[in-house]
Amino acid sequence: MKEIIVAVAGQPNSGKSTIFNMLTGARQHVANYPGVTVEKKIGRYTYKGDTVVLVDLPGTYSLTSYSQEEKIARDFLLHEKPAVVLNIVDAANLERNLYLTFQLQEMGIPMVVALNMMDVAKDRGLSINTNTVNEFLGVAVIPTVGKKNRGAGDIKDAIFGTYRGDCVQATACVGCAACSGATQKKRPFKIDYGNDLESAIASLEAKILEDPRISSLYSPRWLAVKLMENDSEARRLVKKGGDR
Amino acid sequence: MKEKNAAMTLDDIKPGCECRVVDVTVDGATGQRLMDMGFIPGTKVKVVFNAPLVDPVDLQLRGYHVGIRHSEATGVEVEEA
Repeated sequence: MKEIIVAVAGQPNSGKSTIFNMLTGARQHVANYPGVTVEKKIGRYTYKGDTVVLVDLPGTYSLTSYSQEEKIARDFLLHEKPAVVLNIVDAANLERNLYLTFQLQEMGIPMVVALNMMDVAKDRGLSINTNTVNEFLGVAVIPTVGKKNRGAGDIKDAIFGTYRGDCVQATACVGCAACSGATQKKRPFKIDYGNDLESAIASLEAKILEDPRISSLYSPRWLAVKLMENDSEARRLVKKGGDR
Repeated sequence: MKEKNAAMTLDDIKPGCECRVVDVTVDGATGQRLMDMGFIPGTKVKVVFNAPLVDPVDLQLRGYHVGIRHSEATGVEVEEA
């Protein structure tokens, strides 16, 4: 019996905790990190004999080193190496929410996207084609309505499929409702920063790849982009890796 | 850029009017957060109303509402939409 660690990430008010509760039921407990007010919740469920450990991260708009909750979310994703990240997206606020989605994708962790609050989006006159989002992002995308418990089974299928690699590689699909097979055809989406930035990112990436102590732990592209942003934590990681 | 007049900021826009983001000039955590919220050059922003006690100012952009302080709004350079 395996334990599959899954991080639940998303912007504030995207319905992370609702989805978390929907997936784990009542068997959750609350843990506190010392020294900070933001807490992280851990819950479990069983899927086909394996235990899935869900870690509900604090809601963040992005993953910089500026605020405490962003650091907590980012450190967990970077250092605890979850097998899958479940990104909860507010479908009624898709554009702003996708900003975090791209940052998570850049970190290189296999991802499942839950398009939550589909009912609210519909009420606002938005019609979202889940298959198109799926094809664009190249990861499993599940429509959900957290408060009505809709989509739990599909999320669990997609998490397991993504964990096994079925949802991102051209192998047998587990047949969840996530994608109608479209995910298998595509690699996860990559942002094109334009020629000038891309050539700088490429040369940084090449440098990072020269040091396997760093490149084996962190996505070289993610680290290169963060170094370009002059991110203090990224700089520290590179220095630390180089010293040891 | 005109040198004489100081650049117009989001704080200069009257309720009911729209503008377009030119630049986020405030640095650090505030600037990062504004960009996280979608204040990117070219983005259309509508000033909806000021709260009764001045702060915050309610803005609409990218299909959602956000309230920010006037002091933060001065850190967003804008032009007429």
